[in-house]
Amino acid sequence: MNQEGGANQSGSCSGEKESNPCPICLGPMVQESYLDTCFHKFCYNCIVRWSKVVSGKRSRPSSSLACPLCKKENFSVISGFDGTCFQRHYVDHNFEDRFTFSKAHKYRLQCYYSEPGILNDIFDVLRFWKSRKYLQSNMWLQSWLKRELQALMQEEDVDIVVYHIHGVIESFLRRIEQTRLKKSAEAIQEDFKITVSDAAKPFLLARTDRFVTELELFLASGLNIEAYDAVYMQRLGWNTPGGTNGTRPAEEPIQHVEVVPYWYIVDADSDEDG
Amino acid sequence: MQASRARLFKEYKEVQREKAADPDIQLVCDDSNIFKWTALIKGPSETPYEGGVFQLAFAVPEQYPLQPPQVRFLTKIFHPNVHFKTGEICLDILKNAWSPAWTLQSVCRAIIALMAHPEPDSPLNCDSGNLLRSGDVRGYQSMARMYTRLAAMPKKG
Repeated sequence: MNQEGGANQSGSCSGEKESNPCPICLGPMVQESYLDTCFHKFCYNCIVRWSKVVSGKRSRPSSSLACPLCKKENFSVISGFDGTCFQRHYVDHNFEDRFTFSKAHKYRLQCYYSEPGILNDIFDVLRFWKSRKYLQSNMWLQSWLKRELQALMQEEDVDIVVYHIHGVIESFLRRIEQTRLKKSAEAIQEDFKITVSDAAKPFLLARTDRFVTELELFLASGLNIEAYDAVYMQRLGWNTPGGTNGTRPAEEPIQHVEVVPYWYIVDADSDEDG
Repeated sequence: MQASRARLFKEYKEVQREKAADPDIQLVCDDSNIFKWTALIKGPSETPYEGGVFQLAFAVPEQYPLQPPQVRFLTKIFHPNVHFKTGEICLDILKNAWSPAWTLQSVCRAIIALMAHPEPDSPLNCDSGNLLRSGDVRGYQSMARMYTRLAAMPKKG
């Protein structure tokens, strides 16, 4: 067994598969998946099967899985490089009844794989703070938060987290109403970012900063969700979430300069090998 | 079922290809049954098993590699973690600490390592374990060497 192929993992193309087999089946990787802490690679089915064996042996459910290669504890399996879909499966969840994504969720998640700031010329975030637009409460915020958190956490039941973050936002906005005279708009904005980051970080981890940016953008837009999505997607050059039916987003020829995300989320039911 | 066969076939090919890679281990698959393997391992040097060749029998379950193979010594061996009569081996990676990333080849390597580093605190052979635990290393070594001569080396003349 030669396991020194770890250095040349750059291309996930077929040529390298034989030299870098899945450590569980020893065959070529099928639906390459990663563990979230150590990033060791396995076939999706192999690592899921192993995770079931491990959890079946335990008397108490556990939220982590020791990597078969390095024994490091991992909390989720990340799959999707092979173009089948991008998903994150938490070890403590039953793999069968996991939350299935809607097209809107996929579009939102994919936004996190494109450069931030593409809507900055349309929605002026600083102006939102300067002109104190935040004094009008946004009635769509809770629904927007729910969809956003579902997409990012890949979980259906996010109500508690929505409630928590929504509460933090509302109470922050109420608080600055009383103290705004002492502070500049920039300082308020900074405070807002820190407060929301702190609240969201335990759930969103590395995506927290981007989430706060997206949240500000949505608040600054003053739009409802449908209108906001329409603007967003037009700018990205993608199709609207309801409009596509099985076709991959961002493949239709469109006049606008198309924004190419780092990562395509392809529908699970489309052909794996094209 | 299908997965275990495919994986064992991969290991078989690997063994054929890398025959010279590890001269201390010779793994052979039963021609008629891919779930039955035999291994010959050399006793590690600077241990009482040096110079001996030990035979192991592998019975691979159909859920392999999600479940570990069952391995036992066919050659008689005096070692704290090997049952003297049945050849059963007490080794964590063959039980709770099993990981599907192990192969039959790497299990052989782990067993060689166990021969060099016995764990007298979880003995299957109490006589052997007690010798080591009471600090009688020489007693353990001479017993182990005697059985290596008797069972694991070619008879002289």
